[in-house]
Amino acid sequence: MVSDSESIEQSYSKAVQDRKTRKREEELLVWPDLVFIEFISALLFMLTLTILSILINAPLQDRANPAHTPNPSKAPWYFLNLQELLLHMHPAIAGVLVPTIAVGALMAIPYIDNTHEGEGAWWASKRAKINAKVGGFVGFFGTLFLILFNESKHVWLFEKITTLEWPSALNWLRNTRAMQTDLPWPEALKNIPVGEKILKTELLGLPPSNLVLDIPKIFIEQIVPMTTMIGLPILLAVIAAKTKIAQTKRDHAILIFSAFMATWLMLTISGTALRGAGMELMWPWDVKPPVT
Amino acid sequence: MTIEKPPKKPLEERIYNYIMNGRVVKSIIRSGYPNTPRNQMLMVATNVFLHLHPTRINRTHVKITHTFCLGGLSFFMFLGLTITGVLLMFYYVPSVERAYEDMQIIQSEVRFGFLMRNLHRWMAHSMVLLVFMHMMRVFYTGSYKPPREFNWVVGVLLLVLTLLLSFTGYLLPWDELAFWAITVGTQMVGSAPLFGEANRFILIGGYEVGANALIRFYTLHVIGLPLITTVFMAVHFWRIRRDGGLARPL
Repeated sequence: MVSDSESIEQSYSKAVQDRKTRKREEELLVWPDLVFIEFISALLFMLTLTILSILINAPLQDRANPAHTPNPSKAPWYFLNLQELLLHMHPAIAGVLVPTIAVGALMAIPYIDNTHEGEGAWWASKRAKINAKVGGFVGFFGTLFLILFNESKHVWLFEKITTLEWPSALNWLRNTRAMQTDLPWPEALKNIPVGEKILKTELLGLPPSNLVLDIPKIFIEQIVPMTTMIGLPILLAVIAAKTKIAQTKRDHAILIFSAFMATWLMLTISGTALRGAGMELMWPWDVKPPVT
Repeated sequence: MTIEKPPKKPLEERIYNYIMNGRVVKSIIRSGYPNTPRNQMLMVATNVFLHLHPTRINRTHVKITHTFCLGGLSFFMFLGLTITGVLLMFYYVPSVERAYEDMQIIQSEVRFGFLMRNLHRWMAHSMVLLVFMHMMRVFYTGSYKPPREFNWVVGVLLLVLTLLLSFTGYLLPWDELAFWAITVGTQMVGSAPLFGEANRFILIGGYEVGANALIRFYTLHVIGLPLITTVFMAVHFWRIRRDGGLARPL
């Protein structure tokens, strides 16, 4: 009995010793220490924004005229990433599916990475920085590479360096759209009238469906982009796991989040600064204000 | 035996005491002017604005480089946008006939009108950036981990709401930039595989951006979305405290 109560006491005192106590000396009073910082930062921001407002005026163009379409017509800058995506794939994927999945995936982060690793301080986990760097680098330059490929800049580079013409046998490699037009797809695949044969909408009292499947078009506009956007992050994660760069859930979360943010940044930069008239890719200094 | 009178305090101290411990200040700050640790803690705990904070906070969390004040500044932008927005509402009428002319009047005839518009615009852009940066801060400091998962979800919703607030405000000047940005932006909604066109019709009240779209975006911008955002912000701030303040290393 005695030994029992002793051991309980010992384990109890050990648990008390191990418990992280809230040390008073580690804490500061919110007033004045934090309130002061908040006040100063608010003041600095107010001052900067006021100076900015005095120096740079908000633009007011001509009155809206639905008959005049400016070239290029762009969405607000924080949606130009989606508008950039729109140039490369089916509008339903770029405009709706990607943002919906992105918001859902962001919300899911804490439920996937539910460990306590790296909590509460900057770069607190062991491989946090390397994963952020790798993810950011791959996301930023990978996206740039994909944009340049789809704009046939590798053809331009090839012709510039070798002064030869791009071999016509490789025409299908000019960009993704060329895979639809320059590959010998069987004619039968381009025109599959699903509406008449499978979807009998007239049985429901609706007008007869005229849905026609164009397999090469679906392949280029939907399957290729979706595979790219799902496959490349998985590939990145697998490579990072094999090379021991990412080992834990937190590592993978940092890797993929950094890659995603860098991709988003690159798409925004491209949509904002690299797209001129007709949403053509060009150098930032060639991008002129829209002409109406 | 004579009782010695205490020496008279210097004049400035008497004036200070008269004001700081006088009836008026005591009626505003019941705990007394916050010049002792006790009063400072009472000040934070009993003031309706300051009580969002705890009374004491960990030393590392006060360091500027831990949070860069990004969340607080986002909220500050929201407050500033409300003030400048209300001032702009005095002059702006959301009708196709008047909107553009009102913008010109705000810029050329209203005293400080152009400044208010510029401030509103810069604060809106800053808020989008700050919310994004706040999200990155929370991610890289690992502050979304249990028990803070749900507050991260609320934060993502607030990011979406911030973008929507900015987007709905974009149409209001009714100039070429506004019109075509909203036309392009809502076309993305219209391209959804199911109910895309229906959603676009509900959003802009027609098949193209016009008078209905203007009044819808205006109503969402000045009352609908700010109300929803306020509710989510209340939840966001409340949960920070309920979940144990800022995340700390284990």
